Amino acid sequence: MPAINQQSEPVIEIRELITYYGERKILDGINLAVESGEIMVVMGGSGSGKSTLLRHLLSLNRPAAGNIRLFGKAVNKLSSRALHQMRQRIGVSFQGGALFNSLNVEENVAFPLREHTRLDDNTIRIMARMKLEVVNLAGFEKLMPSQLSGGMIKRAALARAIVMDPKLLFFDEPSAGLDPVVSADLDELILRLRDAMGVTIVVVTHELESAFRIADRITVLDKGKILITGTTQEVKESDNPRVQNLLNRRTEDIPVNADEYLQRLTDDLAGL
Amino acid sequence: MTRPAHFIAHTGRVSLAAIEEMGYQFTLFAESLYWLIAGPFVSQPVRLSAVADEMMKIGVLAVPVVVLLSFSNGVMMAIQGIATLQEFDAESQVVPGIAYSVTREFGVLIAAIVVAGRSGSAIAARIGSMQMSQEIDALRVMGIEPVRHLVAPILLAMLLMMPVLTLLADSAALIGGGLYTGIVLKLSLSTFIDRCFDTLAVYDLMQGLVKSLVFGILIALIACSNGFSVTGGSEGLGRATTRSVVLSIAAIVVADMIFTYFLNR
Amino acid sequence: MGYKIEETAGFAIVHLEGDVDLSRSPTARQAILDCLQERQHVLVDLTAVTYIDSSGVASLVEGFQVSRRMSLDFALIGVSDAAMSVLQLARLDQVFPIFASLDARLAQTDPRT
Repeated sequence: MPAINQQSEPVIEIRELITYYGERKILDGINLAVESGEIMVVMGGSGSGKSTLLRHLLSLNRPAAGNIRLFGKAVNKLSSRALHQMRQRIGVSFQGGALFNSLNVEENVAFPLREHTRLDDNTIRIMARMKLEVVNLAGFEKLMPSQLSGGMIKRAALARAIVMDPKLLFFDEPSAGLDPVVSADLDELILRLRDAMGVTIVVVTHELESAFRIADRITVLDKGKILITGTTQEVKESDNPRVQNLLNRRTEDIPVNADEYLQRLTDDLAGL
Repeated sequence: MTRPAHFIAHTGRVSLAAIEEMGYQFTLFAESLYWLIAGPFVSQPVRLSAVADEMMKIGVLAVPVVVLLSFSNGVMMAIQGIATLQEFDAESQVVPGIAYSVTREFGVLIAAIVVAGRSGSAIAARIGSMQMSQEIDALRVMGIEPVRHLVAPILLAMLLMMPVLTLLADSAALIGGGLYTGIVLKLSLSTFIDRCFDTLAVYDLMQGLVKSLVFGILIALIACSNGFSVTGGSEGLGRATTRSVVLSIAAIVVADMIFTYFLNR
Repeated sequence: MGYKIEETAGFAIVHLEGDVDLSRSPTARQAILDCLQERQHVLVDLTAVTYIDSSGVASLVEGFQVSRRMSLDFALIGVSDAAMSVLQLARLDQVFPIFASLDARLAQTDPRT
């Protein structure tokens, strides 16, 4: 088991977070704490607000109300310099990889080091290649992002996200668009990373299988509110019907009205 | 809503959006200046390699087109000038005519329109596709300010290359005009050039160069802001690219008119 | 501040200590490379290391490769569990010669001849 330290301060603490998109409320009073060294999976369907929550955790958006603390510091009160420093302790793997298209794989992975450190060029390149070894992309250093498959892009993006040895790692939809085998490999990799680096990981996903495989705890988000936060067991046993709906992928069966249905299919057609 | 009310509401919305966009462009400008000046002191310098790269793309690669267009333009001015002035038996006055209009107006205008067409679209497309693929977000979460990393090098490269391109355009147009005049009026090119220099004051050249800086800033800001505000997939990207070129050229021409009015009163 | 270097039994032992991270790893790298430049066999002692990040490990990798090119001996001693898990992540535990201590290294047949 990883060293989850319940006594120390949470790495992430969200209090009463409220956000709007125009007039529409996207997140409505989110409270969540992520402990050091744990893998927290934020789960929800499309439109649940999970992507928005991630953008707030990454300080890409500003909340309408409430606050977010990372490493014990209120993010919205940080000076730009302090935020800059905090960001060097955070790694992010975006859904589409977000690799820089003008750079090859190795340059992509080395990019944060080149920007933020004054390490020797040899050290930087060895570090980048080590991370590519970790994600099983050895030998692909010189390829451009456009030459990579979906799974390889995710791996390269992960290598870039961990190149600075972050203390906190965000992962947006690790399995989206991947076949089950590749996706399972990636999940395995996430678990290994946490065990070896002791990094706190937040995964945002809509994939149940992946979520249950990697999560220490799961937060289920629906229509901008948290339905439940708990261990995988607690979530599975939840008697909240909306949680169960999400788990069982039930779309409510609407009874068919024959007349209306036929009308919908043939509406506006010539000669009918 | 009644029609006039609808029209007014629409006009209001469009104007507000335009003002908002200009505000955003001004922010980009101010932030770029901040990073160019203060960047090295907060150990986030604007990379010289990036500036050199942009100078290549914006400036050096534009040289052939700028030279070709300016040369042709010089020839055309000579043709029209001589044809017009012949009616007054004043063909020889074509030299100051070309010299003034090239250095004050057309050199810089041609350089700016070429750069707007080439780089205005390329910059908007590049930043726009980075926006779509979350590369901009990736920069931000890595603690790398996109304005410092992307906009500042472009702005600086524009400020450095536009005057150079303008001088090139001036020379190419004068040579074009000189060659044609030489053939028609039996004037050697060196005499033509000598008479150009007799006519021209530093002020005339400066007028073009100052404008080139302003046009460079306009192109950079319009292209970057359109790139950053891409939404809605590849169609949106195409729209932003086109918009960037059209708006840059429009801004250049309008700014030129305003300049010319104030500088020649 | 540099690291302590001790010369024993034909080895230069580089005693790394504390956090070998982005700010300290260049010093560690230089210390290791300097010893190799002087054609010394190198043991890197990680006993007193509280944390080593990938820049630290990268410096060890570079040192090891340089030593091989110069036909010098290179090994790690006193690798803590934390350091070991960092090495294992990139499977480098299978690359470096790793010994519990100097004595364990000396107990091995001597490849230095």
